[in-house]
Amino acid sequence: MLKLDRVTKRFFPGTINERIALDEVSLTLNEGDFVTVIGSNGAGKSTMLNVISGRYPTDGGKVVIDGRDVTKAPEHKRATWVARVFQDPMAGTSPHLTIEENLAIAFRRGQGRGLGMAVTRSGREVYRKALRTLELGLEDRLQMRVGMLSGGQRQALSLLMATYAKPSILLLDEHTAALDPSRAELITRLTGEAVARNHLTALMVTHNMHQAIELGNRLIMMHEGRIVLEVDEEAKKSITADQLLQEFSKIKGASLSDRTLLD
Amino acid sequence: MIVAVELGLLYAVMALGVYLTYRVLDFPDLTVDGSFTTGAATCAMMIVGGLPVPLAMIGGVVAGMLAGAVTGLLHVWGNINALLAGILTQIALYSINLRIMGNKANIPLLRTETAFSWLKDHDLMRTWVSVAIFAVVVLVVGLLLYLFLGTSYGVALRATGDNELMARSQGINTGVTKIVGLMISNGMVGLCGALIVQYQGFADISMGIGIIVAGLASVIVGQAIFGMTSVWQAILAAVLGSIIYRGVIQAALMVGLNPNDMKLISAVLVVAALVLPQWGPFKRLRIRRRTAQAVAEGGK
Repeated sequence: MLKLDRVTKRFFPGTINERIALDEVSLTLNEGDFVTVIGSNGAGKSTMLNVISGRYPTDGGKVVIDGRDVTKAPEHKRATWVARVFQDPMAGTSPHLTIEENLAIAFRRGQGRGLGMAVTRSGREVYRKALRTLELGLEDRLQMRVGMLSGGQRQALSLLMATYAKPSILLLDEHTAALDPSRAELITRLTGEAVARNHLTALMVTHNMHQAIELGNRLIMMHEGRIVLEVDEEAKKSITADQLLQEFSKIKGASLSDRTLLD
Repeated sequence: MIVAVELGLLYAVMALGVYLTYRVLDFPDLTVDGSFTTGAATCAMMIVGGLPVPLAMIGGVVAGMLAGAVTGLLHVWGNINALLAGILTQIALYSINLRIMGNKANIPLLRTETAFSWLKDHDLMRTWVSVAIFAVVVLVVGLLLYLFLGTSYGVALRATGDNELMARSQGINTGVTKIVGLMISNGMVGLCGALIVQYQGFADISMGIGIIVAGLASVIVGQAIFGMTSVWQAILAAVLGSIIYRGVIQAALMVGLNPNDMKLISAVLVVAALVLPQWGPFKRLRIRRRTAQAVAEGGK
């Protein structure tokens, strides 16, 4: 489970360009929650994920995962509990390593890395079985370098690498935004399946309203570093994209072109 | 020309170290110029001091590893740019190397027992026997490196150089892997210095100057000629590149070029190996090879 307690993040503090990216944001995810996050550019969505993953240090507040205060823990340490899939399909995998080597790294997340062989015969069986869930035929290409895969294939692999060694929190940062529609749909479906299969607690940033409604049991909307709208499980079942847009316009207090929100 | 093969094999140990930093970690490490001499000087002084040769060589390796650790700490903890961290260590090592050598610029190893004494006593230097023995030594070092890069830690180290963001997001402490990589690399460079010092029979304070270029030349020339996709291919390419590099230098000397021009020739060779593959005919060759590789790997 995840708890953000009045987390604040400033960029360029003390300069004329100072900007508050997160303004005392508090959020609690219970076990099994899958929360989708929407909001316009610069609302602080990605910053929130980067603060949770430890990529950015906080300027105030606490980050608690599984009852453990990890506010000061470095990025690689937090990886024990936090897994990520990035927007850039190239970011989550290592291009010059083979598929099986990438998986060997991911499947040992949170464990020690010693001088045993990274890829073993029994490991290969595990990788094959896990790759079959992607339905991309990658299970027959274990020794292929990841750099030769397409963006969609790499993103599917990233998703598997993030979800296999069951993290306490899964962070998805617009992870389908850089893909063509059919691939985006596949990754969206695989995401839902992986979260359900492993009973993961997840936080997903998206620009796609329909994706935000389709996936997850809760929804939050961010604006200027704050959470401005929370939709709970009951309400989310019946909410529509139009209603969300109306809510957003109301909050922003100005007319809003749906282009900024809708893909 | 057999001298070139001998030297090429011995210097291949250093080239493998350079491969580990330059290619695997994507860290252009200039510590090498200093740590090579550090390994040589440490080994020479221990031999002169009457210590057994194997121990002296281990001393050279450890000295090199320490040098690598310093560069790693400067870079990781001090946030100093990789190139600058290496240069700083290298310059500092010049003074340290002089101290190791008792403030003398030259330490002769005449009439002392070395790893090569047996070969010299039996008049087997510069024969295919010595070449075969050196080849076995390089093979063992290369094999150990290959095996290491296939371990869980080795793969983590490769991911650090390949995609650091991914490595950290998968829980790899990339600061530590970099330091470990630099230590192993410079340990190999120190071992090479310890071998060369015994081979040539003296340690010299300037023996490491420009050695990084020889290492880079080996890695880059080897890669340009043999290509490098998998780890074992890259390791083999670095070794063969080292032999080719020494062959070119030897050939240049044999046609009567001034030995003082060798550093210039080294630099030109590296530039050629970096630039030529970008030109038309060579580029087509490379694309063809890559396509063949892709087909072999089951890609498009």
